[in-house]
Amino acid sequence: MIRAAIDNNSGIIVVRELTKRYDERLVLDNVSVAIEKGKTTVIIGRSGCGKTVLMKHMIVLERPSSGEVYFKGQRIDHLSEKQLAEIRRQYGFCFQMSALFDSLTVYENIIFPIQQKQKITDWKAMDELVKGKLAMVGMDGFQQQYPASLSGGQKKRVALARAIALDPEVIMYDEPTTGLDPVRSDIINELILKLKHELHVTSIVVTHDMNSAYKIADRIIMFHNGKIIADGDAEHIRNHPNPTVQEFIHGKVSEAELAALRLGGTRYNTQYSPEDFK
Amino acid sequence: MIEELGDATLKRIEYLGRFARFINHGSRCSVLSLVQPRSYPLIWSQMNAIGVGSVPVIMITGAFVGMVLAIQAYDQLAGMGLEERLGVLINISVVKELGPVLAAVMLAGRVGGALTAELGTMNVTEQIAAIRSMGIDPVKYLVAPRVLACLLLTPLLIIYADLLGILGGYFVSVIQLGINSRAYWDFSAQAVELWDVVTGSLKGLFFGGAIAIIGCYKGFTCREGAQGVGEACTEAFVGSFISILVINFIYAVVTKSIFLTFWPIKSLL
Repeated sequence: MIRAAIDNNSGIIVVRELTKRYDERLVLDNVSVAIEKGKTTVIIGRSGCGKTVLMKHMIVLERPSSGEVYFKGQRIDHLSEKQLAEIRRQYGFCFQMSALFDSLTVYENIIFPIQQKQKITDWKAMDELVKGKLAMVGMDGFQQQYPASLSGGQKKRVALARAIALDPEVIMYDEPTTGLDPVRSDIINELILKLKHELHVTSIVVTHDMNSAYKIADRIIMFHNGKIIADGDAEHIRNHPNPTVQEFIHGKVSEAELAALRLGGTRYNTQYSPEDFK
Repeated sequence: MIEELGDATLKRIEYLGRFARFINHGSRCSVLSLVQPRSYPLIWSQMNAIGVGSVPVIMITGAFVGMVLAIQAYDQLAGMGLEERLGVLINISVVKELGPVLAAVMLAGRVGGALTAELGTMNVTEQIAAIRSMGIDPVKYLVAPRVLACLLLTPLLIIYADLLGILGGYFVSVIQLGINSRAYWDFSAQAVELWDVVTGSLKGLFFGGAIAIIGCYKGFTCREGAQGVGEACTEAFVGSFISILVINFIYAVVTKSIFLTFWPIKSLL
């Protein structure tokens, strides 16, 4: 099925003709995409292809060189940081390295977004809220620990609990399974699915873990050299005719890259051929 | 060649513009934080880390400055039979220049470096981006408490440095070099004015502000990786140190003009 042309209300988040340059380097090349409400959209692509940059534009952590970003039909890319504050509270963002505050306990990390928004008077209710959020990610009982004492997977789960502290409508995950073993990766996948079903949130996941993508995605977008080269459900991506998509999903290096690797070897002057010893 | 020069100039102007905007934003957030009691716990904790933690090193600096001045100046003054005026030289130097400047340099090393390293690490581990993603202004949350703590506590730390400088000078002059204690204090009291003590200490406001804002800016803009954080710390210290010297010069010119305006006769004596 081919989608209709994108307008500002095509989805909860709409990106139109987005281009991003860092000095002379073109990272996003005229990208247009609409994120559907309540669905899990997975953005895949090679490292450095611009997928995280695209996601950061959707919450305006990065400003576009040209193009527009809309949230619920309202253009947001040109708003000031102050104006963006209210909009960003409707997002939860899980960073690749978890980005938990080292100097705060798990409890303080989770109440942080709430505490900064309003003065907390009912601490008992706050204890319950933190307990509930941590229970949702299977981390209840870790309230008084500092991030330094947690494993990588535990940090990701606490970061997830913090991201849902303000009951967001959209949760963004930046490479949520990177650096985790397969079992812990699957726990994170299950959590993403659980949050989608229980909180009915819109999820955007940036990953290059295809097992994760197939498991959690309603829709997969493949990014290559700053452009979308494939867009569809898991089945569509699996059977996509584009060789770049097939190489990526099967984790195979292309013939051209292999040839470049072979040429890159070093030849030493002191090498002898077998004939020299005859 | 001309193209490269123009490009470098434009980049420098762009950098200065970004820094000026950061100062503007940081100053506005600091003023706002002063009138918002919700920010006070953050300011207190920074005051504890920045101010209280710096007291020992500042006191040691002050004490040694006073003692060295006594040792170095004694021979010259004794040669002219003016050794009893040693206190004048030590105390004027400590209160007006050496106490404030050396205390500020120590703070630039201890506090400025730590601020840059802490915020730089937060930056490269995306903690600052995380704060922004929650709709919270990282400048208000991270920079304002640090700027206020430095701004308010540097003058107090300078008073500590002055106090220990005076005591250190006294210890060496009277106990080691045998100068009459009464004469030492009398001459010092005649020469050192309240104006000197107040203007000397108030320099700390400017020094503290410069150390904090440069340290925070370098932390916020540091490049990724351990090398990026290391470079940012070095740049923050060098920037703070040069700022202290430049501010000190401008401050001396301004305070001298004010003094001459209000007390034209006194300055001739």
